Amino acid sequence: MSAGSGSFRERMLAGAPIVLDGGLGTALMAKGLPRGMPPEAWNLERGDVVTAVHRAYVDAGSEAVHANTFGANPIRLAAFGLERECEKINRVAVGLARAAMPRFVVGDVGPTGEYLPPVGKGDLARWREAFARQATALADAGADALHIETMTDLREARTALEVLLGEVPGIPVLVSMTFERKKRGCFTIMGDPLVGSLRTLVSDGAAAVGANCSITSLEMSTLMDEALRAVEAPLVAQPNAGTPEVGSDGALQYRQSPDDFAADMAALAERGVRLVGGCCGTDDRFIAALCGRLRAGVGA
Amino acid sequence: MHSDYLAMQQAVVDGDVETARLLARSLVESPSDLLPAIEQGFAAGIRRVGELWEEGEYFLPELVQGAEAMKAAMEVIQPALRSVDRNRQSKGRIVIGTVEGDLHDIGKSLVAVLLAANGFEVHDLGSSVPIETFLTKAAEVDADIIAASALLTTTMEVQTRLAAAVKERFSARRCHLMLGGAPTSPAWAERLGAHHAENAMQAVVVAESLLR
Repeated sequence: MSAGSGSFRERMLAGAPIVLDGGLGTALMAKGLPRGMPPEAWNLERGDVVTAVHRAYVDAGSEAVHANTFGANPIRLAAFGLERECEKINRVAVGLARAAMPRFVVGDVGPTGEYLPPVGKGDLARWREAFARQATALADAGADALHIETMTDLREARTALEVLLGEVPGIPVLVSMTFERKKRGCFTIMGDPLVGSLRTLVSDGAAAVGANCSITSLEMSTLMDEALRAVEAPLVAQPNAGTPEVGSDGALQYRQSPDDFAADMAALAERGVRLVGGCCGTDDRFIAALCGRLRAGVGA
Repeated sequence: MHSDYLAMQQAVVDGDVETARLLARSLVESPSDLLPAIEQGFAAGIRRVGELWEEGEYFLPELVQGAEAMKAAMEVIQPALRSVDRNRQSKGRIVIGTVEGDLHDIGKSLVAVLLAANGFEVHDLGSSVPIETFLTKAAEVDADIIAASALLTTTMEVQTRLAAAVKERFSARRCHLMLGGAPTSPAWAERLGAHHAENAMQAVVVAESLLR
């Protein structure tokens, strides 16, 4: 185990909560990422902009930032003809994040974008191969941890986790799924329940588990309270900045204010969530506000 | 109610493709019953599936399986329907698809199935449909409505450009634009001069109200 991965694992377990970064794809869109271009393509074309976004998060107080690799598995990259660049895109991404000088760089592993039958035509064997390629590239580049994110199917999350733990042993692997509240509780769109899913992932070996994307910080608060009561592992929470709307200029807008977000997330950290950050629509102002709240104490 | 209708409903609610197909085959042998059977049988089943989804009882796998059963039944019934009643007026022509860059097909397909089951002539262009393809097809079939779905925050803005393109190419009265997809909202559709459908069942209601 590398010194970096060891210390990330230890940091998750003790001390102040770890402040992660906010949205990366939406931040790059705000910096002019062209329509239809995958954010990961900018690792090769506009590395300076990617590092600048990471640096804004580090300056705002992020202790760990995610490398720009959410869609950098070969199945997703193939849709843009970038499958062969998988290793390079992941390797370069870790370097771009490292250049912003965060304490930790987390390799981001998103879903394949496919569904298993009957919903889609996904194939577990192909998925395993895709996750293995991405994980190896991220680990070789020196990522301190890996974060499987935005999973809506527990089977895909478990497959990714199993592959990552097997391919790159020793590196802590975090897993976040995307839940929404239904009448009978919180579920993924595939019907996987909150507590059952997180417990399964912990027993499979996840170093931390939690939820990201889709919901607001307020919805995340009630969801995490359920998880805090029932899950014996470090928890990670990264909500969106509200529901996106299109503004008068045609650009996407997220209506939540950084202060509202920060209040909810600082309170969650106070209640025991170990890793707090943001997803789509959150930017460095949200992280700065969160860090300000944490420094001042939640009640301030 | 006709016991066969209940069986048809149940086949769709259970997502039982084979049973739905068998019931549809026996149905086309007595063609005069076709329309009430669709309405009170299969279509009632898919509406129930939609309700169970909204109530949080059903999730994506059940929803998709229900739509598959509905689709299997409609594939058997539609040719018979056309030969029985050549004069049957469609409620309107709809061109539907998911916008370019977005590969999500499921919700849009469900909307297409429901619109067809409710008497609309539906042209489903699939997913990741370029704006120009929407416009060309709409002109070709003289569409009353273009329906476009976006499931990603990153593809929502394509709907903005589609709205502008539709406005430019068609007068508002000739071709309505109906938008949907998880991140979309009524306020936002309104801002684009379009109409919003929250889900597949509502899409039918909106389409009917637009073409009344």
